[in-house]
Amino acid sequence: MELNELKQIVEALLVATPEPLTDARFKACLGEQNVEVPLQEVINELQSDYESSDRAFIIKKVANGFQLVTRAEFETYVKGLFSKTGKLRLSQAALETLAIVSYRQPVTRNAIEAIRGVSSDSSLRTLLDRKLLEIRGREDGPGRALLYRTSTEFLQYFGLNTVKDLPKLREVEDILSEDQGELV
Amino acid sequence: MITKSHRIDLDMFEGPLDLLLFLIKRDELNIYAIPIAQITSDFLEYVKLARELKLHSAGDFVLMAATLMKIKARMLLPIEADGDEEIEDPRTELMNMLLEYKRYKEAASAFENIEREERPHYYHIPSAWNPQQEDQTAILEDVKLYDIMFTFQYLLKNYEEPVTHAVAVEEVTLTEQVGFIGGLLQANTRLSFSDMLSKFESRLIVVVTFLAILEMLRTRQIKVKQSKLFDDLLISRGGKFGT
Repeated sequence: MELNELKQIVEALLVATPEPLTDARFKACLGEQNVEVPLQEVINELQSDYESSDRAFIIKKVANGFQLVTRAEFETYVKGLFSKTGKLRLSQAALETLAIVSYRQPVTRNAIEAIRGVSSDSSLRTLLDRKLLEIRGREDGPGRALLYRTSTEFLQYFGLNTVKDLPKLREVEDILSEDQGELV
Repeated sequence: MITKSHRIDLDMFEGPLDLLLFLIKRDELNIYAIPIAQITSDFLEYVKLARELKLHSAGDFVLMAATLMKIKARMLLPIEADGDEEIEDPRTELMNMLLEYKRYKEAASAFENIEREERPHYYHIPSAWNPQQEDQTAILEDVKLYDIMFTFQYLLKNYEEPVTHAVAVEEVTLTEQVGFIGGLLQANTRLSFSDMLSKFESRLIVVVTFLAILEMLRTRQIKVKQSKLFDDLLISRGGKFGT
């Protein structure tokens, strides 16, 4: 297959895909056809085409796949297409709750509230409604509490490939030594 | 005493731990050896304010105030040396909670930064139109249990029980309702949950029928579709229907 043809195929898939286009999905779409060129290489080619022709979108690697996104400078115009809730920023409470779930998942509401020291019901609900979190089963212990996890939408929202790409949680000792330093 | 300059908006704190961290930072206190008497009185001043302002989360603050007072009381008690056993500082647990909370609070602000960076990028999402889609109204194919629960809660809120005066023992079982739905699905390819609901005479039947739906979903006898959250549930035959 010619590289040009391959580029067109990948472009078509990028336009139509509802979720990030992964290598596996790409191969599945090609079916029987054998392709020597890795997806990443085709993406690189397309990306440089877009850049040199000054397109309004770029390809972004997210959740271990590729997706077309509009370039940042068009935000002012593009946001007009969406309802207010579409890209509403998360509240402090929601961010804290999300942070706890990201690092501790799967996690129960009780565990979240124990860390935050405050009821987290409404932030959990917001995060579920915005599909950033999902319920994945129940805990084995008494009460069979619901377990929360981050979703693929969470990765998309924060532009991450996996949860491992999140910034490392600081060690307690680290925080302590800094705090003691502040006191001097 | 809280002087004017110390007066701060309680709403800016996410909870009691957040407030404690603020007090520790403001007064440059040592988190290893928190002066409990001082911090308790400062904390209580704020809680008083919170109660005056009728803040919704005041309950969590009151709980923390009680914890602080308990720690304070324990620190006043003479320590009975009990053999070689090491006596734990009553403040240790609180300190650990504060440190743990601080870690996630920091992570949350890192998240906020990433959010700000990602915000200007909009994803291309293909339009909902898809010629192969059998049902144009059912855009939420992937209905999660959570969606169903909320729809049920919503429908139940709007369900008005007909006023009747006869006293009778209602008996309805899960098996009966599973059979009932199965029967309806033999005759119809699709059922609307809200239509079904309007025919029932009591809340109990509604609830049991809902449980029957969950049960049949679990055993794949039926499929449930929904076009958006809180919208009607459309029930159709599943892969294991009739088995």
